[in-house]
Amino acid sequence: MIAIYLVAALAVFAAIRATVEKNTGRKLPYVNVMNFAIAGTIVLLLDHPLALVAAAAYFVGSTLEANAIASTYAGGERRG
Amino acid sequence: MLGELLHILAAAIVSWILFVTVDIFFRLPEAGGVSGASAIARDIEAGGGALAGGTMMGNIVCSPDASAGTLLAACGVYVAGIPGGLVAAALVFIGNRICHDPGYAGTTGAVLATFVVYGFTLVGFAATDFIAGMVIAILTIQGLSHAHASRLLARLWRVRQ
Amino acid sequence: MRGVSGVDDLLVLLFAAVALIGAVSAHLQRDRFGKLIAVGIVFGGIAPFIAARGYLDVLIAVSLIVPVTTIIILLICRRDTHDA
Repeated sequence: MIAIYLVAALAVFAAIRATVEKNTGRKLPYVNVMNFAIAGTIVLLLDHPLALVAAAAYFVGSTLEANAIASTYAGGERRG
Repeated sequence: MLGELLHILAAAIVSWILFVTVDIFFRLPEAGGVSGASAIARDIEAGGGALAGGTMMGNIVCSPDASAGTLLAACGVYVAGIPGGLVAAALVFIGNRICHDPGYAGTTGAVLATFVVYGFTLVGFAATDFIAGMVIAILTIQGLSHAHASRLLARLWRVRQ
Repeated sequence: MRGVSGVDDLLVLLFAAVALIGAVSAHLQRDRFGKLIAVGIVFGGIAPFIAARGYLDVLIAVSLIVPVTTIIILLICRRDTHDA
């Protein structure tokens, strides 16, 4: 059962990298790694069929959030 | 303990090859699916990376693609076997449509990964190894060095062309 | 087996570290996009605690509410360009 500790440690690592990165466009891939780790953690914590739906909902939700932030960032850049 | 670590490393290599192959087959490095992906690609190129690899990384951030499909398929196989993996594929399809992505990379990757992960569970691997392995695989692409990862992806993309 | 009973101490430390990093980062960031990303990291830190207690329906609902909240905040942010 070392997998869950490994995944949790990678989530902390990705969160630190996302915090110290200055550029917004390069910050989002680190947040993406953290979202992968958290979605994996939800299923590893609780072995239940609804946990799969919860992990998918968390992942799709956070991807949509990153998508919205990146789109607004792109639009704001173009407008000056 | 050591055996499980070796299993996780092997699963990371298998899922890395799987999702990079599917993503490059579905032409993710060609163009940004949404405007945010292009912005991320531009920032990664400004940081010393390659544009094609940056576009693929931006597409991975902005929409559930084959990497998300592999992770959720491994989760599905862990909780419910092959039917769980197919449910995960359906959830990835819904996620793709929510994020305005017209592609089928995520769904295809999830269905492929379901059978790959199930096949590996028959030879002694656990599905949890693939969950941790997929997180390590996405870390090597998105989390260690954007410049080197995007150059590697751009080189693979040139081979596919 | 680990289950509804909860997480052990090391996991509590790791997930709390994620949430605290996000909270401190949200305070320190100057950029508005940086602040929103940091709020997303805070939710990433607390999601495993909800899952560990077995409240999966709550987790599904919150996972769908938080991105919608972020999108609404983004729409408000887009109105005035020079605001932290």
